[in-house]
Amino acid sequence: MRAYLAIFLCFLSSGLFAAHRTLNVYGWGGELPRSLIRDFEQETGINIYFSTYDSNETLYAKLHATKQQPVYDVIMPSAYFVERLKNQKFLEKLDKTKLPHLKNIDRSFNGQDYDAFNEHSVPLIWGITGLFYNSKWIKNPPTSWEALWNPGYKHTLMLIDDPREVFGMALLTLGYSPNDINPAHITQAYEKLQALAPNIKLFASDGIKSLMIDEEVHIGPAYNGDAFKAQQENLNIKLVYPEEGYAMWIDCLSIMKNAPHREEAYIFIDFLLRAKSAATIAKKEGHAITNRAGIALLPETTRNNLIIYPPKEVIERSIVQRDMPNNILRLYNYYWQQLKFSL
Amino acid sequence: MKQLIKHGYLSFVFVLLYLPILVLIAYSFNDAHFSLSWHGFTINWYHILFQDEDLWSALINSMLLGFGAASIASLFAFIVCVHLFLQSQTKSSNFLHSTLLMMIILPDIVLGISLLVFFNLAHIKLGFTSLFIAHITFCIPFAIIVIQSRISTLNVDTYHSAIDLGASKLRAMTHIILPMLWPAVLSAFLLCFTLSFDDVIISYFVSGPDFNILPLYIFSLVRMGVTPELNALCSITIGLSMLLVLGAHMLSKKETI
Amino acid sequence: MKNRSLALSAIYIWLFAFALIPIALTVAASFLSSSTSELITLPFTLSNYQSLFSPLLLHILLRSLGLALVTTFFCLALAYPFSYFMVKSKHQSLMLLFIIIPFWTSSLIRTYALIAILKFNGLLNTALLKLHIISSPITFLYTNFAVISGLVYTLFPFMVLPLFTNMERFDFRLIEAARDLGASRRQTFWRIFLPSTKPGILSGVMMVFLPAMTLFYIPQILGGARSILIGNLIQNQFLVAGDWPQGAATSIFLTFILLIFMVMYRKPWSKQS
Repeated sequence: MRAYLAIFLCFLSSGLFAAHRTLNVYGWGGELPRSLIRDFEQETGINIYFSTYDSNETLYAKLHATKQQPVYDVIMPSAYFVERLKNQKFLEKLDKTKLPHLKNIDRSFNGQDYDAFNEHSVPLIWGITGLFYNSKWIKNPPTSWEALWNPGYKHTLMLIDDPREVFGMALLTLGYSPNDINPAHITQAYEKLQALAPNIKLFASDGIKSLMIDEEVHIGPAYNGDAFKAQQENLNIKLVYPEEGYAMWIDCLSIMKNAPHREEAYIFIDFLLRAKSAATIAKKEGHAITNRAGIALLPETTRNNLIIYPPKEVIERSIVQRDMPNNILRLYNYYWQQLKFSL
Repeated sequence: MKQLIKHGYLSFVFVLLYLPILVLIAYSFNDAHFSLSWHGFTINWYHILFQDEDLWSALINSMLLGFGAASIASLFAFIVCVHLFLQSQTKSSNFLHSTLLMMIILPDIVLGISLLVFFNLAHIKLGFTSLFIAHITFCIPFAIIVIQSRISTLNVDTYHSAIDLGASKLRAMTHIILPMLWPAVLSAFLLCFTLSFDDVIISYFVSGPDFNILPLYIFSLVRMGVTPELNALCSITIGLSMLLVLGAHMLSKKETI
Repeated sequence: MKNRSLALSAIYIWLFAFALIPIALTVAASFLSSSTSELITLPFTLSNYQSLFSPLLLHILLRSLGLALVTTFFCLALAYPFSYFMVKSKHQSLMLLFIIIPFWTSSLIRTYALIAILKFNGLLNTALLKLHIISSPITFLYTNFAVISGLVYTLFPFMVLPLFTNMERFDFRLIEAARDLGASRRQTFWRIFLPSTKPGILSGVMMVFLPAMTLFYIPQILGGARSILIGNLIQNQFLVAGDWPQGAATSIFLTFILLIFMVMYRKPWSKQS
């Protein structure tokens, strides 16, 4: 009986201790390993409440709806959402003196257009949207996005369920940038996508890896991280970086303006910037990390894998997605709705 | 012959119902990370499951939430249904019906977002409170429908006679109407618990960071792909529920003997 | 009985605050606009409703109505005899619970289990091939068939519960009496049993048809590009397009249509008859 009482008191006291400092983190499901969060909690005594979202848009919706009472401290928006949230004054300007491990980030991720000088965000994970295909079913390896329009691929195509990715791909085949804001060009892209319709089998938002591995779809755009992991279970899956170009996405850490636990937020972000933390993220979740020091800790097979860490020339030709003016976004959304829902 | 048809049909439907469940359980032993094809047998995923503390706390939270919300929603529904039944159709009851209908028709995402906006305006903190309120609210219409489908078979004269003979309204309700409606209330409770336990969209919008529930946890993992760990969790849930149900059934049998 | 007990008033206040007000907010939002910085903002406009009159919406609406009706039909066809047999058997409550238990697992995971059954080299095709019913695998997945299967599977208990709670109350001596008086089986069914189960059927149909119209994760996971339903469209408007007023308008419009459906459906089946 006394033993139980003792254990109970221990729980109580540890609970009380932990209740002193908390942090609300809102991030992508499947990008921060829970073991890492637990390591942080043990080291610092700060209790983390981790919630997840499945798309930037859902994050955006929830942030807007809770504007009067900010709930979250740290969020993980993608690059072009960092831009949008920054412009709408949702994000705190980062005090770099509180982030000593910032120097670990690869220099090429600094000074990108979406957030010059990384004043409001810290890049954490990145990837490129390439073209995957299943070599068992597709005998002539495609080398360009244009190849997807081949009538031989009828009903075998998977498209990512994201208008920016799909239109970006179409714009690239027409020789434009995925960030093009000329309405005439966007209309052209839409018309081109209409021609692609017969090949589309499905729009994939989750379980992309299963679709690739189980060969329900044979070809289509895919995130390089997904292709990398899928390949480990099905050797027929290959990824190419098309000649027209391709988009890069970067998931970043930001602190909300008027965050309830600002100090703890800085401690957490700095923790994630350590080489060991970044390496854990890469090993457990399989994403490409921005942390140069972390990459050095990874096994050689991963470091040299061309899918997850493509060569410099490939990276240089990628284009980071940017935010768009509202009227252009409306056009995108209109065409996307027409495309997806008229099938 | 009739018995054969009866048993045959019942078995047929149960097989159809449980086939995906058996598949689900089988795949919890699948030696593959993301593939939905069979790759070999392993109990590794159960090991991983048992070490996943977050999952267990989410499960318990969901059970508490479901039990609480279902109880209150069923209670509310019971009171409303009885009142509506004892009173003949009036304008207010038609209005109520329309509101309830709207609540069922409106997609979850609309209810979720509008409740979120409302909570924000009313300065209700996001967390267990907001979840609890939201779950009760979206369960009520379903509970009312289930109870109403049976209330029309009620004999209202017994109730009125009891009142005439001097019973208080409360006593008449609990001793006459409740026993007659008991299976309906229980069905309503079960349905509400199921709805609450599995709700993703509404919970997503009105949940706060400090009360993690199972459907959201699963939803976040599903985005990366369904790993057999989730199958293992569902298998255990089913196994436990079955044991619970069978145990309760056998206990109640014992009592009658 | 005009007395309103305290409990009832409390419930009405609850519903007013947490159901009516959010619904009113939604209706209000449907007449507003969205901008870069605000998801809902002035000016008032009818454009959200105007944009609903398009071939796209008609196409999706008709497809959703069709699939929902087929789903409801199959649910009813499966559940009606099932509830009847359940009522006539000894272990009713046990069976009821066993129907519900599968649904205490995540519906998402169950839907993925359906994928394992329906896919190209999945269980269904393997079984059909082994039994020599077909010579090459059929594409079940990412078709309307898959969506209907998923919907029927997910919504089955919603049809069983109201039917069962209604049938359980049926006095089977009425059937005996009718048979004694010379009625045939068919007459007994159509004129005695079926009418008394009307409220159960009505409730069941409502609880299946309405969610079948608005559930979006089943078409999303099982449906492929050509089986997308109106629930997906609304989700797209809210989240992907970030156009809450438009999403609200589409939802209100859908609600309106379904309300009309329900009113027309209830009239011949009202309690008064």
